[in-house]
Amino acid sequence: MLRVLCGDVEALDPGLMNLIYRFRHDFFVDHLRWEACRRQDGRERDAFDGPDCLHVVGQEPAGRGAGTIVSYARLLPTTRPHLMTHLYPELLKGRSAPSGPRIYEWTRCAVAPGKRESAKGIDAVSGASFTAVAEAAEHFGLEGLLVQTHPVLVTRLMDMGWDVEALALPCTYDGSLLLPVYARLTPETVATCRRLFGLSGPVLRIPASDDTRPPSPAARPTLS
Amino acid sequence: MPDVRQTAFDIIHRLRSAGTQRAVYAELRRTGTIFGYDAFLIGGLPHSPSENLSDCSLISGWPPGWTQRYEERNHLHRDPVIRYIRATTDPFLWHEAAAHGDPRGSVVMNEAREFGLKEGFCVPFHELDGSEAGVSFGGTEVRLSEDARAGLHLVAIYAMSRAKAIARRVQEGDAAEGAAVGLTGREIECLKWAAAGKTAWETSVILSISARTVEHYLACAARKLGATSRVQSVAEALRQRIID
Repeated sequence: MLRVLCGDVEALDPGLMNLIYRFRHDFFVDHLRWEACRRQDGRERDAFDGPDCLHVVGQEPAGRGAGTIVSYARLLPTTRPHLMTHLYPELLKGRSAPSGPRIYEWTRCAVAPGKRESAKGIDAVSGASFTAVAEAAEHFGLEGLLVQTHPVLVTRLMDMGWDVEALALPCTYDGSLLLPVYARLTPETVATCRRLFGLSGPVLRIPASDDTRPPSPAARPTLS
Repeated sequence: MPDVRQTAFDIIHRLRSAGTQRAVYAELRRTGTIFGYDAFLIGGLPHSPSENLSDCSLISGWPPGWTQRYEERNHLHRDPVIRYIRATTDPFLWHEAAAHGDPRGSVVMNEAREFGLKEGFCVPFHELDGSEAGVSFGGTEVRLSEDARAGLHLVAIYAMSRAKAIARRVQEGDAAEGAAVGLTGREIECLKWAAAGKTAWETSVILSISARTVEHYLACAARKLGATSRVQSVAEALRQRIID
């Protein structure tokens, strides 16, 4: 089960937000060894978190371990400070990346290691999580997402039907290859993801009454 | 190269609008004169020991003699570059792969030198379905600055993406493109090369299939198009907009 959260989630559902920050700490700090993000309270929360973020969260369905977070992605608005502008602008060598109310930045993409059934290829949870991000982007009427990731994963974005524009040459950052891109959502992106991952319909649960405009800082906090 | 970034971005821009494997091939040929490589190959890695180069190659810009030798000796399964693709996600130079491989691999590297492939640069791909692929650039003197490596890396990513998308479209669109007369993707591809003035032998090298197979495809295409010669086949295919 996947859903997208927006608005002041910390105030509206502090329990869930707490689970999210803990999941992120388990994954990025304990699993990927991002030591700079290590926190005493075991919650990975940074300066970019806040009521303007979108959170795409996958949880175990009803049954044993129901509600346990198994996948996550954070979408940051580019109308405010985000990673490309404020964490590693040097990736762009002085150039600027696309930004605007309909462009978000895809960050903190994670799937619980226990759910990655095989080391090779893609598993069901990852496939659903990638598809959910595309569905969320479509739901909120986004044009595209900024992404900084390993070139091998950039190729996968292309395979998933995103129209990928490189923003710089690949470079080594913190010992790993990184390529900043702008991934445009196309009318086929969601369908391509579903076909690729063998999904017959939507994976993202969106309440019928939900507002489809991208949330703005001025908007009343909502929780979907 | 004055500005590697701009040069690479220009090439990518053209690759993104390439509609045929022939266009991707031509762009990579041109790119070679800028980045200093003489030959290139886009292909997947074999899934089984019975596969040969022609089963795996998507677009081949290898010297014809080397393609033939490689096929005859079935080097695919001992080529250190192929082996190293499976072990890494980062681009590498051929000699780095050779240093990691078993001694049988050096046979391949030494033979490649006879065909002017002394050094090369390879970009590995690890696909969503768990399979691997690569784009390899080789030549007598492949010397890449750090910037040029990054530029060629990006070119490889887009060349692979286009090659795969076109192959998929040709596969799916045998139907659409050649619908009227029922031409297959391979038949259309051979016709396109014939239209570009390539002989069956040259086409066979480009597509990494035998010249006899090319002749066969062209004969089938001629029959389906109701043509009696290759020239008439090409003219008919152009007229029906099966090729452009």
